Amino acid sequence: MKRRFWWLVAGAAAGVLAAEPWPGSSQAGTGPATIRITEREVQVTRIDLGTRGTSPGDTEVVSQRLFNLRVTPKSIGHSELVCTFVDTRRLRVCRGTYVLPRGKIAVGGSLDYRQFYDLAVLGGTGLYDNARGSVTVTRTHRRPARNLVVMRLVG
Amino acid sequence: MRLARRMWLASALLAALVGAAFVVLILAVSAQRQATEREARSKEVTTASLQLEKLVFDVETSFLGLTLTRSPTFLGPYRTALRELPSRLSTLDALASDDFRQRARARTLTLRIQEYVTDFVTPLIPILRESPGIARDNALAQEGRRYTDELRRLFREFRSAENELARAASRAAERRADLAVLVGLGAVTASTTLIILFGIVLSRSIGHRVRAVASGASRLAAGELAHRLPERGPGEIGELTRSFNAMAERLEQGRRELQAQNDELRESERMKTELVSIVSHELRTPLASVLGFTSLLLKRDFEPDTRRHYLGIVDAQARRLAALLEDLLDVQRIEREGIALASERIDLATLLDQQAQLYAAQSPNHRLEVALEERPLTMRGDPNRLAQVVGNLLSNAIKYSPAGGTVALAAERRGDGVRVIVRDEGLGIPADQQSRIFTKFFRGDAGATGITGTGLGLAVSREIVEAHGGRIGFDSDPGAGSTFWLELPSGLADTMTTKREGM
Repeated sequence: MKRRFWWLVAGAAAGVLAAEPWPGSSQAGTGPATIRITEREVQVTRIDLGTRGTSPGDTEVVSQRLFNLRVTPKSIGHSELVCTFVDTRRLRVCRGTYVLPRGKIAVGGSLDYRQFYDLAVLGGTGLYDNARGSVTVTRTHRRPARNLVVMRLVG
Repeated sequence: MRLARRMWLASALLAALVGAAFVVLILAVSAQRQATEREARSKEVTTASLQLEKLVFDVETSFLGLTLTRSPTFLGPYRTALRELPSRLSTLDALASDDFRQRARARTLTLRIQEYVTDFVTPLIPILRESPGIARDNALAQEGRRYTDELRRLFREFRSAENELARAASRAAERRADLAVLVGLGAVTASTTLIILFGIVLSRSIGHRVRAVASGASRLAAGELAHRLPERGPGEIGELTRSFNAMAERLEQGRRELQAQNDELRESERMKTELVSIVSHELRTPLASVLGFTSLLLKRDFEPDTRRHYLGIVDAQARRLAALLEDLLDVQRIEREGIALASERIDLATLLDQQAQLYAAQSPNHRLEVALEERPLTMRGDPNRLAQVVGNLLSNAIKYSPAGGTVALAAERRGDGVRVIVRDEGLGIPADQQSRIFTKFFRGDAGATGITGTGLGLAVSREIVEAHGGRIGFDSDPGAGSTFWLELPSGLADTMTTKREGM
């Protein structure tokens, strides 16, 4: 009876340790930071899946090259955004990934206008592992389409 | 250490102290000026940052106006701000260049303003015209707030830091001012103390000594030549007091010499006067007798016996005059040439006998007793001069015993010499005159009592005895007589000639 009690105590302690996250395991490597880069649209593909014209379920795929012109004129990465329209006007739900030199940042959310929108940072890999925050995109140039991308990471 | 060096050191120390105090004061004033300049600059920086902030929020207001109303009329302040921003930003950057942290803050501020204007407001104005619906997007307002909130924070931090810098400069200036006041007070206190100490030292080591020297000089000038200063004091003061004392010593010595010369002159004058008086008196009496009797003899015819008697008186008085002149000449000769003594073997007992017989016949009122313990009393000497001495003593003993009495003459051999004593029962010599009894022409009260004499006998006698290598002296009891003695050595090696000064 006594031996069984001690086995229960040991099991409970092991359970508590397993449930507690390791310190830093949920922290991004960057910490709170703002990433300010520009992007240039390379390709925009629109797939009209429903009724003719904009309709829910239509898909838009945007490919962009990323630049940090303060550092180098060369592209530092690329991003892809896949949006699914949810009404017949402009509202769409998007998921995308910014592929940067030291990791990827996954974003998602809804947007009306591609000239200005913001999305949530859902996570990341590499340096941006488990990143959180938001990304705001502002069109600075119409043709060729160039955007300013400001990512505000909080952790 | 010499006084000049001490004074130089003290002056250098004082100058260093005062100089240090002035340096600290100048530093404090400079710090105050820097703090004032810093405060003025901070005001300029704050004003520039406020003007810049106003421009930034003109941009924000324009943008919000456009967002809310979609009317481009709101873009006026934005356009003005766009024109003015570069110069305002460079002004702020220049003004903030004093402090590297403020400069960094200004640059961050500049960067964020540029981002706000060029990355957010400027791109969105055409977008809003093109797609007015974006204005309803919460993301737009949120993004705008993110920019402006951060800008507000940065402006706030910048001004706060600027104010803190101004306060720090002000505090530093206050601290330096306090320090300067403290150092100034300390330096003033130390300088005052040093000056007072310096004054005390000067007063004690110089002023006091100089006053003492001045006082001493006054006392010297007043004739107090024995006054001396304590030979203390540093360097030159010590030398001054020593020189003063040496001068006083020389002055005193000079005065003593002058006094001695003066005394000699006075004595000489007195003696001359006395000589004239004595000589005139001593000459007048016998000369009057000579003149009187010769006039009488010339005018009248006297009996031979009477004439012989008168001529005898004239002869005696003439001899007296001759003796007086001989005494004077003798003194003059002794003074000029000294005494020439013959060195002969003599029997002093015989000489004393002869003199006693000679003087015993001169006074019927006196009884002359001669006591010679040993015969003969041979010695070497000048018999005439010794007879002159003994005659003088016997003559004086008779003259100064006017009431008569016994005059004792004694001689005895004492050691290698002979001691001769002449004792009388006469007037004696007053105590206050005893020290001058051998002085030339000194006669004390004798002149007043009518006792004749020149005052030269004892002076000449002392010269003669001392020329024989002997001594002469006396013991006297005023009113009870005197005892004169002389001690002569047995031998006189050679004929001696001595010249006595001050006789």
